[in-house]
This record gives sequence, C-alpha cells and structure tokens, in this order.
Amino acid sequence: MAECIVVTSGKGGVGKTTTSANLGVGLALAGNKVAVVDADIGLRNLDVILGLENRIVYDLVQVVEGECRLKQALIRDKRVEGLFLLPAAQTRDKNAVSPDDMRRLVAELKESFDYVLIDCPAGIEQGFKNSIAGADRALIVTTPEVSAIRDADRIIGMVEAHDLPEPELIINRYRAGMVERGDMMNKEDILEILAIPLIGLVPDHEDVIISANRGTPAVFDETSVVGQAYRRITDRVMGHEVAFPDFTQKNGVWATMKRWMGLAQMREVV
Amino acid sequence: MRGFFSKLQHSVFGTEQTSKDDAKQRLKVLLIHDQVALTPAQLDAMKIEIMEVIGKYVEFEADGVEFKLSREDGSISLVSNVPVRRVTARA
Repeated sequence: MAECIVVTSGKGGVGKTTTSANLGVGLALAGNKVAVVDADIGLRNLDVILGLENRIVYDLVQVVEGECRLKQALIRDKRVEGLFLLPAAQTRDKNAVSPDDMRRLVAELKESFDYVLIDCPAGIEQGFKNSIAGADRALIVTTPEVSAIRDADRIIGMVEAHDLPEPELIINRYRAGMVERGDMMNKEDILEILAIPLIGLVPDHEDVIISANRGTPAVFDETSVVGQAYRRITDRVMGHEVAFPDFTQKNGVWATMKRWMGLAQMREVV
Repeated sequence: MRGFFSKLQHSVFGTEQTSKDDAKQRLKVLLIHDQVALTPAQLDAMKIEIMEVIGKYVEFEADGVEFKLSREDGSISLVSNVPVRRVTARA
C-alpha cells in the first residue's frame, strides 16, 4: 500500500530538502515508485537539489487550480527508474493551496506511487498545515543544536495533535569529533529530550554541499559517508532494522595520538 | 563516548561543564517553558496554595520544600519534595 511521508522540522536550514531528495532517490534506487513533492510554495528548492530545475513546465499550484493534469506536472528523473518530482510554484504564496487540496493531490498520487514524499517548508503556518494534511507518517529533521531541537519539539507536538502516528527523528549534521569532546549533544542526549524513535543519523560532511552544487544527491554515491547514511535511512523507512554507526574515528592518527597522550598523562597522575 | 583524554581531564581537574551539558540543561528548561503557559508568579502562587493544604495535615520544614517542573520522555510533571516533620492528626 502506498505511503505518504512528510519531511518536516520547524526550523529552516536543518536539511529537510536534502533529506527529501536523498530519501526520494534512495527509495527509487531500492526499486520503489516515488513522487517527491515540493510543498515550499514561493521558495522552491527541491528541484535544484535534485538537479531538475531546467525541466519544470508546470507546478503544484497549477495542478491544484486545474491548469494542467497531474501527470503533465510530474518530472521524471532520468537517472533512476521510478522517481518523479512535483515542483512547487515559485511565483505564488502558500495560501494558493489548502489542506484539502493537498489531501486530494496526495490521494491521487498514492494511486500510482509506492511512496509520496512531501518536502515541508520551514515554520508552523499554512505551508506546514498543507504539508501534513495528506501524510500518513512524519519524519522530523533536526541538528544537534538548542534552537533546532526546540523547534523540533514544537513540531512533534503539532504532528501528534494531527492524529499522525509517532514521528521519527533524523539527526543531521552530526559531528563525532565535537561529540567526543563534549561540545555537541550526542544522539542519546537528543533522544532523551525529544523522546521519539531515531530513524537517521547523518554526519556533517562536505559531500552534502558538493552534491548540492552538482544537483546529484549524495545517496547516488555508494562511497560517500553521507550517501551511506541516507541508504540506511531508506532501508529503515522501508521497515528494515539497520544499526546506527557512531562515526567516531578510532583509527586516525590524531585519535591514536590522543589515546597515547591520555595514557602517558594517567601514568603521571597515578 | 567522550575521548579518553578529555575524560581524564574532567576527572582529574574538576568537573567543569562541557558546552553540550549547557545546551542540554538550557533545552530542558526551555522546553518546559514552551509547553507550560504559567508565569513564574503563577507558579509561586500555586506553590503557596499547595503548601497551605499540605500544612493542614502534616507539619513540614518549609525551608526544605522543593517544587519544580520537570520533563521526562516528552511529558511534563510537577515534582515536589516536602520534608515532613510529623503528621499532625487533627481530624
């Protein structure tokens, strides 16, 4: 049965669009028919992250207003079988679409796709309400920062008030080195505060920027640590159990040196 | 897991809070206040009223009373610790 998943966060800039793009590609690579929907009307970006910006003809608002058929607005990604993008309108605002419009749209998409992913805009207003209207499941993206976690908490409350099942958490921009030094909350700290299940842990890595430059989501690259993190998320979304690596570099030169220095210091103390 | 070196540093040279401890502590307080729409003055008023009721039944040490909001697993609870001197059977 088809499932509609909304990717949301509250705070902007934490990686919702990157997550939507990578999860969409990941699910398609795994053999699913996937529609990714950019619900950020007026500030569309999912097309750029997916590298499909030059192929837009129609958009979500035109579909809703009956100017074109849904099939005409869907852009097929030629790099992977089964992946389609429904772009947002760039020249309209969020009030051009209502939650009922979205429910109808999602229902229609679910007839021909296995997964419908909604890339939600930042904030808690109309765009958010539209995005969760047709969703069966919510993924909350956060980063290990006070402001992002605060907003995630707010969104979790709103998702639960909307009769959706318990949302699942993706922690983005995780820096193992900072966590080791005690300068970043670790995943246990964040889970203790937000109290929802973890479905993804994505390291902070320059691959994200490089893949955004190119319009080729990192998940395409099997050797990228970020790509691998998104492949694991994809598997978990599909219901498989996959362990979470902690991204610590135990074998690096610096780590070895630190261990050695630690030992030396202990001898002095003892 | 914190690195061995920094762990040692923390155990030998006192227990200075790391910045993540600060973040976690600030978040916990922040989320309680985001969820509870009570002003500090209202909280104080509630505390006084509750203490009055408890005082009708037991004798307690007013200085040792703890009264705070805490958050566990996403839900908020009001936690109070009242050191009782003796139960005054007044009924």
